[in-house]
Amino acid sequence: MNKKRIKSFTELVNYRNSLKEKFDPNKIYLRICLTGCRAYGSMDVKNAFLKEIEKRKLKDKVEIIGTGCHGFCAQAPVMTIEPRPSVRSEGEPGGIFYSRMTSEDVPEIVEKTLTKGKIVEHLLYEDRKTGKKIINSLEVPFYKEQVKNVLKNCGKIDPQNIDDYIRNEGYDSLAKVLQKMKPEEVIEEIKESGLRGRGGAGFPTGLKWQLCRNTNSFANKKFVICNADEGDPGAFMDRAVVEGDPHSVIEGMLIGAYAISATEGYIYVRAEYPIAVQHIKIAIQQAEELGLLGENILGTDFSFNLKIKEGAGAFVCGEETALIASIEGKRGMPRPRPPFPIESGLWGKPTVINNVETWANVPLIIQKGANWFSGLGTEKSKGTKIFSLAGKVNNTGLVEVPMGATLRKIIFDIGGGIVGGRKFKAVQLGGPSGGCIPEEYLDMPVDYDSLQSIGAIMGSGGMIVLDENNCMVEIARYFLEFTQDESCGKCIPCRIGTKRMLEILARITKGEGKDEDIGLLVKLAKMVKDSSLCGLGQTAPNPVLTTINYFLKEYETHIQDKRCLSFVCEALYTTPCMDTCPVNIEVHGYVALIAQGKFHEALDLIKERNPFPSICGRVCHHPCEIRCRRAEIDEPLALRALKRFVADHEIELERGKIKPKVEKFRAEKVAIIGSGPAGLSCAYYLIRRGYRITIFEALETPGGMMAVGIPNYRLPKRLTRLEISDILNMGIELKTGVEIGKDISFDKLTKEYNAVFVAIGAKKNVKLGIPGEENEGVIPVLDFLRDVNLGNVISIGRKVTIIGGGDSAIDAARTSIRLGTKEVTVLYRRSLEEMPARKEDINEAKLEGVKIETLVAPVRILSTNGRVNSLECIRMKLGEFDKTGRRRPIPIEGSEFKIDTDMVIPAVGQAVDFTFLTDKLEITEEGTIKVDENQMTSYSGVFAGGDAVTGPETVISALAQGMRAGEAIDKYLNNGKVSEEVVAKTKISYPTRALVEEEIEVAETKRQIMPTLKKVERVKGFKEVELGFTKEMAITEAKRCLRCYEKE
Amino acid sequence: MDKVNLTIDGKKIEVPAGTTIMSAAKMLGIKIPHLCYHENLPPISSCRLCVVEVEGAKNLVASCSYPVTEGLVVKTDTERVLNARKIVLELLLSIHPIDCLTCEKSGDCKLEKYAYELKVSSSRFTGEKNIYLIENGNPFIERNYNRCILCGDCILACNEVQYQEILDYAYRGFKTKVSTAFEKPLLETGCVFCGQCVRVCPVGAITEKNKKGKGREWEFTKVKTVCPYCGCGCEIELNIKEGEIVRVTSDPKSAVNRGNLCVKGKFGFEFINHPERLKKPMLRKSDVPTCAEASVGGRGLKSKFEEVGWEKALNIVTEKFKEIKEKYGSEAIAGLASAKCTNEENYLFQKFIRAVIGTNNVDHCARLCHAPSVVGLAKAFGSGAMTNTIAEIRKADCILVTGSNTSEAHPIVALEIKAAVRQNKGKLILADPREIEMTNFAALWLRQKPGTDVALFNGIANVIINEKLYNKKFINERTEGFDQFEEALKKYTPEYVEKITAVPAKDIILAGRMYAQAERGSIVYSMGITQHTTGTDNVLVLANLALLTGNIGRESTGVNPLRGQNNVQGACDMGALPNFLPGYQKLDNKEVKEKFEKSWQVKLPTNSGLTVVEIFNAILEGKIKALYIMGENIMLSDPNINHVEEALKKLEFLVVQDIFLTETAKFANVILPACSFAEKDGIYTNTERRVQRVRKAIEPIGESKPDWQIISELSTRMGYTMSYNSPGEIMDEIARLTPIYGGINYLRLDNNEGLCWPCPDKSHPGTKILHQEKFTRGLGKFHPVEYKPPAEETDKNYPLILTTGRVLYHYHTGTMTRRVEGLNQLVPTGYVELNPTDGEKYGLKDGDSVKVSSRRGSILTKVYLTERVASGIVFIPFHFVESAANILTNDVFDPEAKMPELKVCAVSLTPLK
Repeated sequence: MNKKRIKSFTELVNYRNSLKEKFDPNKIYLRICLTGCRAYGSMDVKNAFLKEIEKRKLKDKVEIIGTGCHGFCAQAPVMTIEPRPSVRSEGEPGGIFYSRMTSEDVPEIVEKTLTKGKIVEHLLYEDRKTGKKIINSLEVPFYKEQVKNVLKNCGKIDPQNIDDYIRNEGYDSLAKVLQKMKPEEVIEEIKESGLRGRGGAGFPTGLKWQLCRNTNSFANKKFVICNADEGDPGAFMDRAVVEGDPHSVIEGMLIGAYAISATEGYIYVRAEYPIAVQHIKIAIQQAEELGLLGENILGTDFSFNLKIKEGAGAFVCGEETALIASIEGKRGMPRPRPPFPIESGLWGKPTVINNVETWANVPLIIQKGANWFSGLGTEKSKGTKIFSLAGKVNNTGLVEVPMGATLRKIIFDIGGGIVGGRKFKAVQLGGPSGGCIPEEYLDMPVDYDSLQSIGAIMGSGGMIVLDENNCMVEIARYFLEFTQDESCGKCIPCRIGTKRMLEILARITKGEGKDEDIGLLVKLAKMVKDSSLCGLGQTAPNPVLTTINYFLKEYETHIQDKRCLSFVCEALYTTPCMDTCPVNIEVHGYVALIAQGKFHEALDLIKERNPFPSICGRVCHHPCEIRCRRAEIDEPLALRALKRFVADHEIELERGKIKPKVEKFRAEKVAIIGSGPAGLSCAYYLIRRGYRITIFEALETPGGMMAVGIPNYRLPKRLTRLEISDILNMGIELKTGVEIGKDISFDKLTKEYNAVFVAIGAKKNVKLGIPGEENEGVIPVLDFLRDVNLGNVISIGRKVTIIGGGDSAIDAARTSIRLGTKEVTVLYRRSLEEMPARKEDINEAKLEGVKIETLVAPVRILSTNGRVNSLECIRMKLGEFDKTGRRRPIPIEGSEFKIDTDMVIPAVGQAVDFTFLTDKLEITEEGTIKVDENQMTSYSGVFAGGDAVTGPETVISALAQGMRAGEAIDKYLNNGKVSEEVVAKTKISYPTRALVEEEIEVAETKRQIMPTLKKVERVKGFKEVELGFTKEMAITEAKRCLRCYEKE
Repeated sequence: MDKVNLTIDGKKIEVPAGTTIMSAAKMLGIKIPHLCYHENLPPISSCRLCVVEVEGAKNLVASCSYPVTEGLVVKTDTERVLNARKIVLELLLSIHPIDCLTCEKSGDCKLEKYAYELKVSSSRFTGEKNIYLIENGNPFIERNYNRCILCGDCILACNEVQYQEILDYAYRGFKTKVSTAFEKPLLETGCVFCGQCVRVCPVGAITEKNKKGKGREWEFTKVKTVCPYCGCGCEIELNIKEGEIVRVTSDPKSAVNRGNLCVKGKFGFEFINHPERLKKPMLRKSDVPTCAEASVGGRGLKSKFEEVGWEKALNIVTEKFKEIKEKYGSEAIAGLASAKCTNEENYLFQKFIRAVIGTNNVDHCARLCHAPSVVGLAKAFGSGAMTNTIAEIRKADCILVTGSNTSEAHPIVALEIKAAVRQNKGKLILADPREIEMTNFAALWLRQKPGTDVALFNGIANVIINEKLYNKKFINERTEGFDQFEEALKKYTPEYVEKITAVPAKDIILAGRMYAQAERGSIVYSMGITQHTTGTDNVLVLANLALLTGNIGRESTGVNPLRGQNNVQGACDMGALPNFLPGYQKLDNKEVKEKFEKSWQVKLPTNSGLTVVEIFNAILEGKIKALYIMGENIMLSDPNINHVEEALKKLEFLVVQDIFLTETAKFANVILPACSFAEKDGIYTNTERRVQRVRKAIEPIGESKPDWQIISELSTRMGYTMSYNSPGEIMDEIARLTPIYGGINYLRLDNNEGLCWPCPDKSHPGTKILHQEKFTRGLGKFHPVEYKPPAEETDKNYPLILTTGRVLYHYHTGTMTRRVEGLNQLVPTGYVELNPTDGEKYGLKDGDSVKVSSRRGSILTKVYLTERVASGIVFIPFHFVESAANILTNDVFDPEAKMPELKVCAVSLTPLK
C-alpha cells in the first residue's frame, strides 16, 4: 500500500471526502472483533464468513470489517451486522448483535440474516432481568448504559486501515491544531477540559504539558511518551484502545508533541500484547506514508517521529521513571523524583509521559471542545473513564462511563451482577495497587478523589469484582504476591517490607496467624506506603490496608477461629458444601460414598446431622450448591437430588430394618413447643443424648410448615410422616392438638420441664395493606396451602392472582393450577432476578402455565357484592438501591391497570404468632423472639429457634436452629459440656475423611437433569413432579465432585 | 533563583538552589542517617533510612535526593520518621546474618552504626532469608551477598563511576540481588578489580580479601600519602595496624582521584613487606662475575652477594667514586635518578652528581617517556607539562585521546574521560592502532598504522583549515607561524593521509569537525605519541591542533601528556636531566648558575651532560667508567636491552640503590637498600603538576634507608657535607632555588589538594591551567612538520610491526607488581597479542609458544589471539623479564628529545613446536 503524502490541510479534507465517497451505504457491514475475541475463535468466524460470502456471491453486498474490541468480552466472540438488513430504516443506529457464535453458525447467519433479513434467535443476547432476547446492539443493557467516547471507534473501524480512521474524522483534530491553534492555546484547551491522567494518579494533563513546555531544554529536544505498559492483572482497556484504535493515540501524541514542542515520541507497549504491537507498527507506518508522521506534517514546520518500544513485561515499567530507564536500555527501575520527567525525562530531556487513554482523549477534546468534555463527569474528574470489568461479574468486558457513575451501576446494571447468583463482596479497583471497596460504597460516585478518600485508587481502571467465594485475606495475599514478585527490588520497604507482609498474610491464610499479626501488618503496610521509592511500593499495601479496614472480621475469623468462610484458604475449611450447609452435613462425604455405590453409608452420614434427608432432598434451598466449586467450571453438583436419591433408596429397600434406639434415658425433661423442623431437629439432637422429650403441637399432625405449608407435588405427605415417625420412634412423646397458653399454661411447662424450646414458627399471614382485602375471594396464602394440605375442600377461582415472589407464592400458584383454575398470575414488584423463590420452582411453575408478571404492585382489590372481581395494579420501575442492595421498586405514575380476577392470594410474608408469650419473653422490633447467642430467650431455661426467631426462613435454616438449640440446652443441663450420645446405632462403618477408596476420576459430564413428570400428568393432581435420580444418574452425578477436600 | 530559604526542624537556613535536604540539614548540624547515600555517587535513594517529613508531601521523602525549594518545611525527627527508619532497620535485620563478631566490616558498618544509634537490636519482622554462596574465587574481592542490603552503591560505582558495567541487579522482588552477568565469578566478567564496589559497600557484603582477619576499623591508623604507581598521583591512605599495612583506602575528597583507585593502588601494596625486600647493603662476591640469567626481579641471586654493614658499603662506594673521578675525571661518572623517588631525593641526587661528582651526566627514565613532550611543548608553548588538570577533563565536550591506553596505564584519568562521555555527553575521538577499552567510549575511533601520527594529525589540521573551522581570533592574537604552517599542510588532504595512515578519509574529516567545533576540546596523549623517532614531531602536530582551534589556556582544553610514573614530573622538575638545573633553569644562564653555585658553594659544570641512551653508548665507548643508579631498572625499561647489558658488563663500578634486587642490580658491585614510599616523607609531583605529600607510614624495613639519607651520607663521606634533618629542609632549599616551586612548603601541602606549579610564592594558589593569558613563551608557535616514516620498517625478514606498552595489572618493570601475588595471578606472565587472521597465517592458537625476533634480539613468549591488534601488528607488554619486550625494541632515537623508538619496530614470529 504505497500512498501519496498529504501535504496540506486541503489535501487532507479532499482525501477524507474521497474516502467518504467510496463508502457504500447500501452494503451490509459485518463488524467482527478480531482482537480480544481472537482467543475465542473470531478469526475462524471471519474466515468462514469470507468463504460463505464468496460462495454465495454476496461480495458486492456485504463487507466484513475486522475491528478491535467491542467491549462485551463475556459474550465473545461478538459481531454486529449493520444496518439491520430487514429494517433498513434511515439512520437507525446500532445493528444486530450476535454473540458467542462459532464458524458453524456462519452459514445460518448468511442464509437467514444476510440473505433473508431474518434473525438467528440463538445468537441473540438474552437479558438476564427480563429474560428477553435483544436484537439491536444498542439495546443490550451492557451497551445501553455506556457513553462511548474514547471507545467510539473500537469495534467500529478497522484498526489496520488508516483510511477507516480518517474517514471517521480522524486526524481532523491534528489539522485543526496545526492550522488554527498556537501550542499555548492547545495547552489552554486541555487545561480547560479538566482532563486528568488516566494512568492512575490523575495528574491534570494540561498542567503537565504546560510545565514541560516551560522547561528549558538546552539541546532543544523534548519527548512525548505513551505508556501502554498495562501491567495490572485484570486491566485491558489500554490494550483495547491501541489494538482497536491506534491512530487516536498517535493523533493525541502528535497534538501533545506540538503543544510542548517535542519532535520525537515513543509508544512503550508490552511485548505480551502482540496484536497491539502489530497494530501500532502498522499505524505508524501508514501514518508515515501519508506524511502524518515524520517531517513537515501537513506541509507545516511541525515534524514528529514516533517509535515503538516493546517492554519485556515488568510491572514496574508502568512507573514513568522505570519506563524511561527501560527505553534507555537500562533495567527498568524507578529513580527518585524530583526531578520529574517534565524536567528531566528520556535521555535527560524534558518529557511528557501519558497513558494510552489520556492520549486518546486528546483528539476528542480538540474536536469537540473543552466544554463538551468538562460537561461530562464530576466536579473534579471530567470526561469518561474506561473500566475493565472482570472477576465474578456476569458481563465482563470494557465499560466506558462518565466519571461519577456509581460502582453499583457499573457492576450491576452494566455488569449484570454477580455470577451464579452469589453475593457481591467487594470490588478491587485499580489493580494490585488499588484497594478493595466493600458493598457500603457501591453507591459512591467513582472519581479520582472519592476513590482516594476510601483508600483505593482509580489506577488504570481495572475493576475486579469479588463475591462471597473470594477470601479477602487471600485476595490481599494474592495481590501482594504479585507486587512483591514485581518489585524491582531497589528500595528496602518495597523489597523486604512487602515480602514480610506477604509472609504474615500467608501464615494467616494457613491458619498460623497470631493475634498481633493484624497490628503488625498495618504498621508495616503504612510504613511501606509512606516510605517506598516509587508508586509500586507506595501503593502495594493498598489491598492489604483496605481489606483490613473493611473486612477486619474476616481476618479475625482466620486468626482466631481458624476458619475461612469463603472456602479459599485450604487449611481453614473442610469443603465449601459442608461448611455452607447450615447443619454441616459432610456433603462431600456422602457424595463420595454415592460415587462408590455405598448408599447406606451415605445416608447414615447425612443422618448424623440431619434427620430429614428425604424432606431436604426435595425442598431444601441447598446453599451447598450455590457455593459448590464445580459451579465455577460448569454447574454445581446436584447435591439436593443426590440426598434425595439415597433417602429414597433406603425407603424403597430398607425401611423396616432396625432403627436406632435410645438405650438409657436421663432424668432431665425438655418440653418442645412446635413440631416443625426446628422443634423436631432439637428433639432429635437431645434424644440422642438421652433427654426425655415432650413435643406439644397445636395442630393434629406433626411437622409444622413441612406438613401443612408444602404441597404434595413437591413433598409427598407420606415421606414427611415417615421421617417424623422415625424420630418420634426413638422415644419422644408427642402431644398434638395442644395449644400452649390455652390448653396448658406456659408457667406449668417451665415448672415441669427442666428446659423449654419454643419453635412455634411464623404462621401468621401478613396483610397486603390495600383496600378491599376483606372481600370474599381474598385468601391468605398460608390458609390456602394449609387447607389444601389438610385435604379441606377449596373452591378455586377461575382466574387466580397471587401477590408475592416467595416459595409460598409459587406453591400457591402451582397448587391453583392443580385445583383446576383457568389462569394463574403471580405479581411481583421487583424483577424476575430478585424473586426469592427457588429458581427451579419458578421454572417449573412457568412450564406448568403460571404467568409471572414482574414490576407490578397491587393498588386495591375491587369487588362486586363483597366478592372480588378485579385487581387494580400499578407498574413499577427500579429506582435507587436500598439497604438490601436491591433496587427499590417505585411506582410509575399513571401506569395503573386492572386485572380481571376472582381470587386473590396475598403471599407477601408471614409473621410469628406469639400472643401467649408476650408477657413472658422479650420480643424484637421485627416481631420475633429475642434470643442470645445460645438460643436462650430472656426467660432463663427457655430457648427458642426456627422461624419464630429468624422470621420466615427455609427448612434447613430451621433445622440448624433446632440443632443449635439442642446443643445449647444440652450444655445448659449438663454443666456446660456436650453429652455423649447414647444411641445404639446399626453400626455401619463409613470412612469419614479418606473418602475415595479407589482412584475415581472427576467426571467431565454435565449436571444430571432431574427427571420430572410430564405437564399433562402434573396438572391432573398432586403427584410428585420431580421423579428423582436413577442409581446410574446418582453415581454419575456424584463423580462430578471436584473433591475440594483433597488439599495439597 | 540562586538561593532558597527553608526550615528544618524549626531552624531556618538559606542554601543554594538544588541543594538536597540532607546537605542542607548537614549545614545546620542535623545528622540524617543513611545507608545508600555516598558522596561520590549520584543519590540512589534506595535505603529509605534518610526519609524525612516534608510539609505538604503525601509521603515521606528521601532527603538524600530531594532538592530543596523555597519555603520548604522539613521535619527530620517526628514519630512518623523515626518509626519508618526503625522499620527499615528491622527489615534489614530480618535478612541480615548477625555475624558481626566475625564480619570484616564491624566497626565501619553503617547498618551496625544505625542499629546502634536507633537502638534496633532485633526485628519484629522475621521470615525467609536468601542464602547465597560466598564468591571469593579471585585474588582480591570477597562477595558475601548474605550480608548485602542491596543499597545499589556497588552497582552505581561499577557502572557510573568506573563504567565497567560488571555488576547490576538481577531478578525481581525479594529475590533481587546484585549480580554479574549470568552470575559468573568476577574473574570471568572482565572485572578490573578497581575495588570501587568494596569502597562504597556500607556493610560487609563486599570486602577486601587481603584484609581478612587482619584487624578492625578502629585498630587502624590511616596515613595519607600518594600512590607509588602511575603518574595520576592518586591520594591513598595506608591503613596501618601494628606497623603493618593492612589495606589501602582513599579519601573521597582527594583532588585527583575523588577516592577512586585502580587495582594497583587499591590492592598492590604487598610488595612493601615482601620478604625479598633488601634489608642490608650488599657487595657482589669477588668470585662472582656479573650474572645474566633472566629471573623475575632477579630472584635467587642473593647468594651471589654478601651482606655488609652500611659503613663498609658506603666506604667502598666513596673510595671507588673518588678513585674513578681522580683517574678519569668527573665526566667518567654518570648517575641515573629515579622517577619513583621523591622530589627531595631527585633534587639531592642531581645535586650530588653536579656538585659532588662535578658533571651534568644525570638523567632518568623520563627520557624514555616524555622527553619529546618537554621539548615539543616547550617549542610550541614554552612549557613541557600537562597544560590542564585531570579533573577538568570530564567537562570537555570533545576529547582527542591518542597514544594512550588510558584505562590501563592511567586508570583514574580514564575515569574522567569516561565521565565526560557518559555523564556530560562529551565526544571522545580516539586515535590508537589497538582496540583498547577506550574504544567503547569513543564517538570516533581512528585506527592509524603505528608511526603515522604526524600524517594523521596534519590531515585533521588540514580539514580544520580547509573547512574554515579554525579560531581566527585566537590565531591572530596569540600565535605565530600560521602562514607557513598553513602552506605546509596543503598536501595533507584526507585522501592523501588515508593512504599513509589507513584511516578512512571520511573519519579524518569527521574528527577535524568534531574537535574544531567543540567549545572545550582537550587533547590527551601518552607514550604512543612520544616513543618514536618522530616523538617531538608528534607532540608538535598535537600542539598545532590546539593552537589552530584555540583549545588551550581555558578550562577543560589543552594539550595533556600523561606522565607514566608517579614522580616522573617531579624528577624532571628537580633537574634530574643533563641539560637543566631544577625548575628547568638553563645550565648556561649565568644568573641561574651563580645562584646555584652560591647556594651549593661549588663551581658547577656548564656543558650539557649525557642522556640515558647516550650514557650507554659512552660506556661502550669507554668514556664512562662508573654509574650510580637510584631506583631504576634499565635492564627492562630501556630499549635494546642486550645493548644495555653489554654496557653494564663493561662498567668498572656500578652502584644500584633500590628496594629489591632488580634485573639491573644483579650487575652491581654495591647494592644499597632503600626505603619504599611507605617508609619515608617527601613530595611527588603528578602528571598534572600537582605537588603532593608522601608521608611515612611504617618504619624502614630491615636496615634500609630513605634515598635522601643515603645520598646525604655518601655525599658527606665524599667530602661535601649534606646535613639535612628531614626532607622538609630539602624542600625548603628547593623552593628557594626553584621559582616554579617557590611558594611550596609542607605546611601548605597539608590539605587534600596539594598545589599545582607554577607556584612562585607563598601566597600563590598554584596554577591549574597553563597559558591562560599568554603562553609561557609569549606567543604560541605553529610548527610545520613533515611526515617521516618510522626508523624501522617491515620487510621480508621482519614482516610485523611490534608495539609495546603496559597492562593494567602490572607496572613498569614489575619490580613491585610482580611481588603482589594477586596481580601475578591475574596476569602471570608476558605474551604477544596477535590478530586471529595472523594467527591463522602462522598456524598459531591461543597460548602457543613463539619466538619473537627483531634485528636486536629474540624472546620467547606465548600467543594471545585478539582483535585488539590489527593484522600485521603485534603488541607485547614490557613488564616481564622472561619475555622482555625491550630486547626487541629499537634504540634509535629522536634527534631532539633523544627518545628511543620504543613503540615501533619490525619483528618476526617463529612458532615453537
